[in-house]
Amino acid sequence: MSSFRRDDNGEIRAIFTSQEIQVILNLTEQLLELLGDSELHTAVPGEGLDPFMNLMGISTSEAPPEDPVLRRLLPNAYKDEREAAEFRRYTEHGLREKKRAHALLIHEAIISRQEELEGIAEVSGIAPWKEDASIDRAALELSIRDDDANAWLGGLNDLRLALAVRLGIGEKLNDGATADSEEKTKRFELMAESDPMQAVYAVYSWLGWLQQSLLEAMLSGGDEHQAS
Amino acid sequence: MRVVRTLALGTITESESDLDLRPDRPWVCVVWDDPVNLMTYVTHVFMVIFGYSKERATELMLKVHNDGRATVASGTREEMERDVQRLHEYGLWATVQRDDEF
Repeated sequence: MSSFRRDDNGEIRAIFTSQEIQVILNLTEQLLELLGDSELHTAVPGEGLDPFMNLMGISTSEAPPEDPVLRRLLPNAYKDEREAAEFRRYTEHGLREKKRAHALLIHEAIISRQEELEGIAEVSGIAPWKEDASIDRAALELSIRDDDANAWLGGLNDLRLALAVRLGIGEKLNDGATADSEEKTKRFELMAESDPMQAVYAVYSWLGWLQQSLLEAMLSGGDEHQAS
Repeated sequence: MRVVRTLALGTITESESDLDLRPDRPWVCVVWDDPVNLMTYVTHVFMVIFGYSKERATELMLKVHNDGRATVASGTREEMERDVQRLHEYGLWATVQRDDEF
């Protein structure tokens, strides 16, 4: 499993296997798609979107999203439904954009690094990897700027939240009943390897490990904890 | 800050009193426990958003973890809404409410 670390030059780096790269690309693409269809979930038949309101970042949506993943990513800001709806109307668009930006940053970092390496291979006529069949040729080393690290953390966290919803981890939030999480975790660990949910849980666990390693790499740098 | 109890290993101070809860600042930002978010990540987010010290942020994170929720900031309604929005950006579960709603 890949993880981030700060190298001797002070750069935060990780080497991902081709499989890990595919997982991150797929998940961020799914997340972008899910976050992208902003107004759709509450579109009232016969009532088109107001282009001016859209321009101002004011959403016509007031109800919480129907998709459980979106409900988790874009939660109510008030316990009171009416106040939550009013707040959502003015803020959901911005929140979606922020989350899209985090996911895009991760996606673009991988794509541009892949293109960069392909470019090097073309120009030099040699591949930037050793001629060794045992080497994963699509493995990718990424470096993250400290300025982007918080966006990466947030983006990885959104991926984990999305997977957690599919896995049923942390259901019934805001009802005070989250005690089921440890039991759930145990259940997944005991699950047969052939169970597809076991694979989802493995990805979820890996992303947690990755996020934790990024945080540790960031903190090993020194003075990044300025209030922003 | 006042000392609430003394233990053999040292004193524990009550940092709740660090929060500015004057009557003219009647809104609070509450963060709810979420088993998905890593404890270290939650602590980090409190430090980034509120500029809290590591100790203070850790204390609040543990309160969220142990009690299921914690009041992490207080101020005007607009300030709390802005804080909640930023916490949502980072994937934490936060709500705005009047100080006396508990």
